[in-house]
Amino acid sequence: MFVNILKLGWKNVWRNPARSGVVIIAVLLGTWAGIFSAGFFNGMLQDYLHKQIELSIGHMQVEHPQFGDLYNPKYSVSNSNEIVSYLEAQPYTREISAKSIATGLAQSPHSSFGVTINGIDVEADTSLAIEQYITEGEMIDTTSRNPILIGIELAERLDLELRSRMVLSFQDVTGEITGGAFRVAGIFDSFIDQFDESTVFVLQSDLNRLLGNMDAIHNIRVDMDDLATAEMHAEEIEQAFPGVLVKTWRDIAPDLRYTFDMMDLTLYIVMIIIIIGLVFSIINTMLMAVLERTRELGMLRAIGMNKSRTFSMVMIETVFLTMVGAPGGLLLSWLCITYFGNVGIDLSAFAQGLNQYGIGTVVYPSLTWSYYLNIMLMIALAALLSALYPAWRTLKLKPVQAIRKFN
Amino acid sequence: MRYAHRAESNYEYSNSTKESSDECYAAESMIPGVNTHPMTQIEPETSNLKKMSIITTTGLTKVYNADQVPVHALRGVDLTIDKGEFTSIVGPSGSGKTTLLNIIGGLDEPTEGKALIDNTDLTTLSDRKLINFRLHHIGFVFQAYNLIPVLTALENVSFIMQMQGRSSRECREKSIDLLKEVGLEDKINKRPSELSGGQQQRVAVARALASKPAFVLADEPTANLDSVSTAELLDMMLELNEREEMTFVFSTHDQRVIDRARRVVTLVDGKIDTDEKR
Repeated sequence: MFVNILKLGWKNVWRNPARSGVVIIAVLLGTWAGIFSAGFFNGMLQDYLHKQIELSIGHMQVEHPQFGDLYNPKYSVSNSNEIVSYLEAQPYTREISAKSIATGLAQSPHSSFGVTINGIDVEADTSLAIEQYITEGEMIDTTSRNPILIGIELAERLDLELRSRMVLSFQDVTGEITGGAFRVAGIFDSFIDQFDESTVFVLQSDLNRLLGNMDAIHNIRVDMDDLATAEMHAEEIEQAFPGVLVKTWRDIAPDLRYTFDMMDLTLYIVMIIIIIGLVFSIINTMLMAVLERTRELGMLRAIGMNKSRTFSMVMIETVFLTMVGAPGGLLLSWLCITYFGNVGIDLSAFAQGLNQYGIGTVVYPSLTWSYYLNIMLMIALAALLSALYPAWRTLKLKPVQAIRKFN
Repeated sequence: MRYAHRAESNYEYSNSTKESSDECYAAESMIPGVNTHPMTQIEPETSNLKKMSIITTTGLTKVYNADQVPVHALRGVDLTIDKGEFTSIVGPSGSGKTTLLNIIGGLDEPTEGKALIDNTDLTTLSDRKLINFRLHHIGFVFQAYNLIPVLTALENVSFIMQMQGRSSRECREKSIDLLKEVGLEDKINKRPSELSGGQQQRVAVARALASKPAFVLADEPTANLDSVSTAELLDMMLELNEREEMTFVFSTHDQRVIDRARRVVTLVDGKIDTDEKR
């Protein structure tokens, strides 16, 4: 009998094709809109997160425990060569970058601004992420004298151009103020305004000479293949080298961690809001369907259909109504996310606003399979919940009243 | 306790697949060639079956409270309908016809009195058992046909047998037999919207018979039919009545039905005014 009730439920869905069609399309579009917008925002946030990690913080950083937030240059990693060798031997390591760092003031004839000065070893670090964001000039190298790479925002703030001269002032390892003149070799645009404004790159040898310690390494950055294992490996490194502090990207940028953790929740909240809207639409439609069939349902009860069967019939009908549209919406959203995930969505018209938040102008939507699966389960649950009230109404039917003197 | 049997019809139904959830349906006929009917006490000889009471009401009273004012729909109706009768219940509007049919159909409860159908007092059954009782004992024909519009004629007839738990094959075979019986063998795959009113009512009669009921209860079955369809429907039902001894109870205003009824019970103000057997 259950199979027959299933068949009847399916046929009932198509009893009023226009009305059912509207609900099915609403479910399809709602599912698509919810998932695609989730994919869009996920792509945007992933871009933001990965750029932040790629450009500035990496997955792990090894530092002297007292280097800390004050960036005092006297606290360098003493056994940096040994640590770098150890890390290079680890299978999880993808890239290693050892930098010297100072914080100071960048000055031009027009203005000055506080910056973080990164001393990079361009010969040892062959794959520096910043290189791909250079829009003017070229990467700094040892053939020039005191070259510097600055961000486009800093260039505008200090009114600097390629080959302009500028001065960096900062504290050396003895605590004395020191400084040097640099010439702009390249300008980068990472699309993260704050980074472009407050970060400069110079040759490690130039910075270390001014710091007064030619071997100074303040920060060893490690990029890995698997972001999730950062905590585990950080502990391993600390155990191998007790005199250093290893921080993961989550420790370094708690705001990113929070963003990362909140992202999933936010995506689900968006989808839940859409599903709630759909639930009311489905309940409304099914109530109409049940109320206009009061006589028929009363007849079925009169001729001997028990309550559980009429309840099941309406439940099944509602689930069918919902689950016809949902897979279509899922498929459509998957196609859209896959397509735009490859070609990207150009938002250059909003570049200025997006860059302030560190988001690129081309968004590549992306979504994990688990999200699709969870959404499908949520929609199925919503379908069942939507069905409860209309189905419950059938339990309240009195056959004699429903069919009114048999008719 | 033994259970009664009814004479075998030419569209004999097996009780073997009747729902077992209700203990009332556990019994099987031990008499070869004789079809059982559950919950009906045994009668010794088939020759006496024509005299067997299918419906017995005693002191049936129904009082509705409309706006705190009691309305007496039935005032002590004593009525016995035997197997094989073709009875019309007539009377003016408000006379209590519908209330009486609702109660003997197990759709409503009397305020007082008893309604014995197949020797089962409906007033003692729980809601669940009452639904089951209707499924197995009472065939309904409604004024507006009330077929399921998304199902074909065959499926409409089969549906009630499927609810009884019969096999798909049996449901199909019996449904085809019944539709042949009512002259619709060429319409089995038509939906109600593709059938005329008369044809739909024939499907409704086939559906009512499909559950192999003790009797068929019909409320104004010809009210929506033209005179030709009415005559055809009455011919068909009279034939079933004569050939199968199927008991029919109608409520009607239709003089054409009243004229052909073998018994006419007239209700006035909730009481039986006249009871004419022809």
